[in-house]
Amino acid sequence: MKETRIEGLSDEFLNAFVDNQLEAGEKSMAFDFIENDENLKARVCDLRGLKEMVQHAYHQPSLSSHGAPARRRNWPAYFQPMAACLILVLGIASGWFGHVLTAADNDRELKRLFQVGQNSDFGDDPRKIILQVSNSNPARLKSALDESESLLDSYRKEHRQLQLEIIANSSGAALLRADVSPYAVRLGAMQAKYPNLDLVICGQTVGRLREQGVDVQLLPHANVVPSAAQQIKERLQQGWDYVRI
Amino acid sequence: MKILSLFCRGSEFQAQLEAIRPKLYRVAYSWSHNSALADDLVQETLVKALKNSGQLRDPELFNGWVFSILANCWRDHFRQYREMDDIDEIEDFQCVHEATPEDAHSQSQLVLRVRNAVAKLPLGQRQVLTLVDLEEMSYIEVAAILEIPIGTVMSRLCRARAALKATLNELAPRQVAPVAQIRRVK
Repeated sequence: MKETRIEGLSDEFLNAFVDNQLEAGEKSMAFDFIENDENLKARVCDLRGLKEMVQHAYHQPSLSSHGAPARRRNWPAYFQPMAACLILVLGIASGWFGHVLTAADNDRELKRLFQVGQNSDFGDDPRKIILQVSNSNPARLKSALDESESLLDSYRKEHRQLQLEIIANSSGAALLRADVSPYAVRLGAMQAKYPNLDLVICGQTVGRLREQGVDVQLLPHANVVPSAAQQIKERLQQGWDYVRI
Repeated sequence: MKILSLFCRGSEFQAQLEAIRPKLYRVAYSWSHNSALADDLVQETLVKALKNSGQLRDPELFNGWVFSILANCWRDHFRQYREMDDIDEIEDFQCVHEATPEDAHSQSQLVLRVRNAVAKLPLGQRQVLTLVDLEEMSYIEVAAILEIPIGTVMSRLCRARAALKATLNELAPRQVAPVAQIRRVK
């Protein structure tokens, strides 16, 4: 701000003075000049007046088409992340419990069907049940085998006839594969003990596994049918009860 | 905790934007004198600020940064609708100076008189004047926002105030001259 003139101060300097943009030394000098010059006083007064008029003119530009911004609740800053974490935890927990309950429901349904099969056997005709295993969950497989064994055992004790066929397909085919089945020994023992138990595996699943280069080895007495869906359909037409896990 | 602090920072940033919105609107309105356009400009500025929030390294420079975005939006708008704005401006001038009763009434009101006078200033001078007077910004800040040298800020401000003073004198309500009573002469 060195634009002082001998006879007074430049307009730029006066504007900077009004806008408080001068350094301390320059401001002192400006005060000295203004105090001793009526003309300068009037110019500064004009400039201040203009500045205030502009501020006044736009103090409340109420022509805005939008209204006042909606008031927001003043939640603490950490509220959002905490709420997000809580929802995430709730989501995971509900997913987990839902899965457990659904699995339990499926198992209950399995038991119920077996019980129906036991209780509704009034005639001399053998009871026929086909059990489809398309899931490789070891817990589910164990539950199915437990129930099957219990059913076979109870029928034997009551001297009633039962024909049970376990058909495995998709990922459930692992149950009847000698190389990967977790219950190969148990199934072997069950078959030896209960001749009315048949083990059947889906031919399409076996074919697909072999196409993928898997060397599929089946349990000794497992039979291969062309298609699990076709086999189930035929069994249903023949009056078998169908249970799926 | 870093994730939490990121969330908190985001909400602080939004609160800052919300707080500065009226100021942005005031300046945008003083540049455009069109409430719908000012709304659009502010909206666009806020959107750009939110999108590019990562570019703001120093939170203390927030005000200058946001007003720079507003100046860019205004420049883009002016570039985009240059011809149309020029035509409007000419028409506005013609209308403003029509001696209609409404104009006569509006000119008697100080606020409208000042707004009309500011609206008549060239764009560059209008921007400097409003940033300095309305937002109390320093010349250095204005120079950074408008990307012009500080000397240009000073000269534009000086010319703007001189023109404003002259226009306000022009627009001041004239004193009605006393009308002589008609006297019946026999």
